Amino acid sequence: MNCVRKLLRARGLSAGRGILRQAAPGRARPWLQGSSCAQCVWPVPARRIRSSAALSRSELVPTARGDKEKDRGFRDGSLVPFDELFERAHEGDRTKAAFSRAVELFCQRDVRRRGHVEFINAALRKMPEFGVERDLDVYNKILDVFPKEVFVARNFIQRMFNHYPRQQECGIQVLEQMENYGIMPNKQTKFLLLQIFGEKSHPVRKYQRLMYWFPKFKHVNPYPVPAALPRDPVDLARISLQRIAADLSATVTVYQRPLTDISDAGKEITQPHIVGIQSPDQQELLARHNPARPVFVEGPFPLWLKKTCVYYYILRGEPLPPEEKEEVIDSERNLYYPMHLDLDLDRGLWDDEEFYVDEVVEGPISAMCMAGAGDQATLAKWILGLQQTNPILSQTPVVFHLTPGPREFQVASDSESGEEEIPQSWRMKQEL
Amino acid sequence: MRGARAAPGLCLRLLRRPPRGSGGPLAGTYPTPLPYATCLYSTHAAEAVLEKAGAGTASPTVSKTKSLLGESKSFAMGMFQGRMTTEQVFPYPSVLTEEQGQFLKELVGPVSRFFQEVNDPAANDSLERVEDRTMQGLKELGAFGLQIPPELGGLGLSNTQYARLVEIVGLHDLGVGITLGAHQSIGFKGLLLYGTPQQKEKYLPRLATGETIAAFCLTEPASGSDAASIRTTARPSPCGAYYTLDGGKIWISNGGLADLFTVFAKTPVKNEATGEAKEKVTAFIVERAFGGVTHGPPEKKMGIKASNTAEVHFEGVRVPAANVLGPPGAGFKVAMNVLNSGRFGMAAALAGTMRGVIGKAVEHAASRTQFGDKIHNFGAIQEKLARMAMLHYVTESMAYMISANMDQGAADFQTEAAISKIFGSEAAWTVTDECIQIMGGMGFMQDAGVERVMRDLRIFRIFEGTNDILRLFVALNGFQNAGNQLRRLQQALKSPVGNVGLLAQEATRRLRRKAGWGSGITLRDVVHPDLDPSAEQLVRGVDLFGATVEELLLKYGKKIVDEQFVLKRVADGAIDLYAMVVLLSRASRSLAQAQPTAQHEKLLCETWCEEAYERLTATLSPLSSDGARHTFRQLRSISRAVVESGGVVSPNPLGF
Repeated sequence: MNCVRKLLRARGLSAGRGILRQAAPGRARPWLQGSSCAQCVWPVPARRIRSSAALSRSELVPTARGDKEKDRGFRDGSLVPFDELFERAHEGDRTKAAFSRAVELFCQRDVRRRGHVEFINAALRKMPEFGVERDLDVYNKILDVFPKEVFVARNFIQRMFNHYPRQQECGIQVLEQMENYGIMPNKQTKFLLLQIFGEKSHPVRKYQRLMYWFPKFKHVNPYPVPAALPRDPVDLARISLQRIAADLSATVTVYQRPLTDISDAGKEITQPHIVGIQSPDQQELLARHNPARPVFVEGPFPLWLKKTCVYYYILRGEPLPPEEKEEVIDSERNLYYPMHLDLDLDRGLWDDEEFYVDEVVEGPISAMCMAGAGDQATLAKWILGLQQTNPILSQTPVVFHLTPGPREFQVASDSESGEEEIPQSWRMKQEL
Repeated sequence: MRGARAAPGLCLRLLRRPPRGSGGPLAGTYPTPLPYATCLYSTHAAEAVLEKAGAGTASPTVSKTKSLLGESKSFAMGMFQGRMTTEQVFPYPSVLTEEQGQFLKELVGPVSRFFQEVNDPAANDSLERVEDRTMQGLKELGAFGLQIPPELGGLGLSNTQYARLVEIVGLHDLGVGITLGAHQSIGFKGLLLYGTPQQKEKYLPRLATGETIAAFCLTEPASGSDAASIRTTARPSPCGAYYTLDGGKIWISNGGLADLFTVFAKTPVKNEATGEAKEKVTAFIVERAFGGVTHGPPEKKMGIKASNTAEVHFEGVRVPAANVLGPPGAGFKVAMNVLNSGRFGMAAALAGTMRGVIGKAVEHAASRTQFGDKIHNFGAIQEKLARMAMLHYVTESMAYMISANMDQGAADFQTEAAISKIFGSEAAWTVTDECIQIMGGMGFMQDAGVERVMRDLRIFRIFEGTNDILRLFVALNGFQNAGNQLRRLQQALKSPVGNVGLLAQEATRRLRRKAGWGSGITLRDVVHPDLDPSAEQLVRGVDLFGATVEELLLKYGKKIVDEQFVLKRVADGAIDLYAMVVLLSRASRSLAQAQPTAQHEKLLCETWCEEAYERLTATLSPLSSDGARHTFRQLRSISRAVVESGGVVSPNPLGF
């Protein structure tokens, strides 16, 4: 019974569309006045009628909207109207609440949800702006915009062919965006999709594929970057340095905390943060460094943590001359037991567990740091701090090889990622 | 050696196990448990070989792989590969010819009597030197030249004969033992091993009579076991006729008595190939008469007070080039070989000490009455006495096994010698400690004479390579050997066609190990059937040990050198296994020869094997797990904390 009623309703919808079309010529149609196409419609009525069937869905949007409110954007023929909806909804800050408001606004406007495909497309585009691109609730809300049970295939022919392709594609689009942001659908998503498109529809299959792969990939990265990066630059530096160092025994030292102070003379003093890392192995290596040879401070080098770019500096020695490279243990060293075993076992072809490492001639890196400022004075403070644990540095000349990199990088990254969306997305996440 | 290895096929094993009662030519079973004909044991061994030949198909492959692998004949080395190399250990070797035995018997009586009647260990200890009449008596007995060939004035004893006499010395007075040992076990051992005929002729006759006493000068303030930090130098003269020796050595036994020194010093040695001059260690024979040799006052020590220990200084000593021992620059090898070939004597001496101490403990336990009962009837005392007896039995069996192996001309005895030194010194310490415990307050008093033994014994765990360092030697030497074996296997894998036998054998071994069947080695041919359960424990122990070693080797590779926590445990396992095999061998011989003490020895052997096997599984099984690693980490951090705070970290519980 239910489906018959729905069938009738669907018929009514399409019939209504036809009625609307047919009625259109007779009406005043003030929204068409002044449009360049107005004239060309009249001379070819036959074509118009034909197109009404084919284009009905795509033209539905302005038509439907036109019934109630007259949107300025219509005349461009673009999808701007829905953008407007969002523009009006936020009125202040762009938040999840504002976004939801926009969606609700659309849903309340029309029982039939006319133009939902376009609206959903617009909403998907707008999501990052509102910082809700990683919010599962919002995705579900968007899916909820689809009229329910209308697009469910009812017979084998419908099932065989692409039933309501535009709607199905749109549904897939929503899931794809979720996929791109790594959002795992939940039961509600499934329920909605089943309600909207029915079993074995393309969006449901997409959902199934997502649910197959996502749990498999969820923990594939053994070194995940935390979802919300810390805002404190010292903490951020700590995380980044530990990521690069990849040595659990390495110790992070905060040489200087960031500080802004007004001195007695009224001058503003800013003290950039300096955070360094050094492992015991590096310390040992540095202790064996020949003080006659200089060590170099080099940088800045970029490190990307998701969308954030941080810069680090390294303390590096020259590549070792071959004769100093390996300490040869004299076989006649220890009277009682061998200090060195001659055990060069080849590995079998089948258990080669080593990665191929392309060894570039490079000096040993003795320490790394991140600083609030990349000038020599700041980095010299770092070296000074390092001297306490590495006395050899006080006898070794330190050469600064600094490139004016960060500023250029900053500009490039700004233009690439566009606007201030990064901090905003952070804020959003912290709210969550 | 192959006599003990099972061929992979089941049929072969069936072939080898003839039905009971069928007395065919190959039936090599012990007919009934008791009694035995004395000769049965040896014939049985021969039969085992015969049988192997009779087994047909398997033997050619086996012998081929053996030659291909070039394996060491040492049992201790073999067990690191999970193998039973029984050639050296089964049957328990008896190497003395009738003549040698007779000669030894004639010596044992007078030497024992001498130590009972002439030598006074308490007096030596309080005088802090060996009494003159004792010294004189020892010289007359020929005790200073036991192993010097007769034509050069010595007694020309074999290692086994030497061990027997040293045991008597150890039984009575370790201080005198050190004086004699420092003289002949290390002092002039270099001369015996590496000396030219001229050098030997010149010095050995005087050394044999004790007219000249020798000392071994290796240790320096900065150099214990690190040959690289030897500071004593010997500069060659421009003409090449002599070397000028400068430097100081410390803690030299006999340093104040000796007139002849084996000195190790750095000399510049030119590398023939590259023409580069490098500092290398060279051994020299230095006479006090060369001038410039001085010694410090005798050191004040905890034990072995009767022996003389002093610093020796060399200032501008001119040593003729003819006195270089071995080739120039080969001093390291000389030192190592001298130390290695002297170690077995220590185990023998300590076996003697234990015998004496156990005698005292038993005497007390059997005569002391408490609560109306002799104390030897109390379980606490019984356990002590039993363990003391076992420890003695192991040490003694090891000492004579190794000396016999050396007399047989074995090249690989270093690991076994190190094991015997570690085991002997620790066993003797425990035994003496328990003896004092049994004797109670009586043992603590000087009059009982055991506290002196205890003090004397302490040094044995320290000198000639501390036990900790020798454990590293045992483990690392074994790992190197097992690694070589793995490498040979890898090479064989590269040309599988030519090495089918070897590969098949190794594959079977590993598959069996994986399947939990054990390696299929059987000791049925060499061990007396009464000891089968113990032999089975040994086999399982060796399987476990071999598997653990291989696993560790693959896990750590070369870095195993730095894993001393692991190495120590592996060495402990090796020591236990070697002790087991030595006991099995000796008890088998006793049983086969139907010696009167055979049943007692069987008891000792079985008890030891049971406990050792349990100990072995407890030590080795966790090694590959994370649990052990966790413990090691914790131990390491406790030690670090203690070092960092310069002592105990936690404060007094009272808070002040």
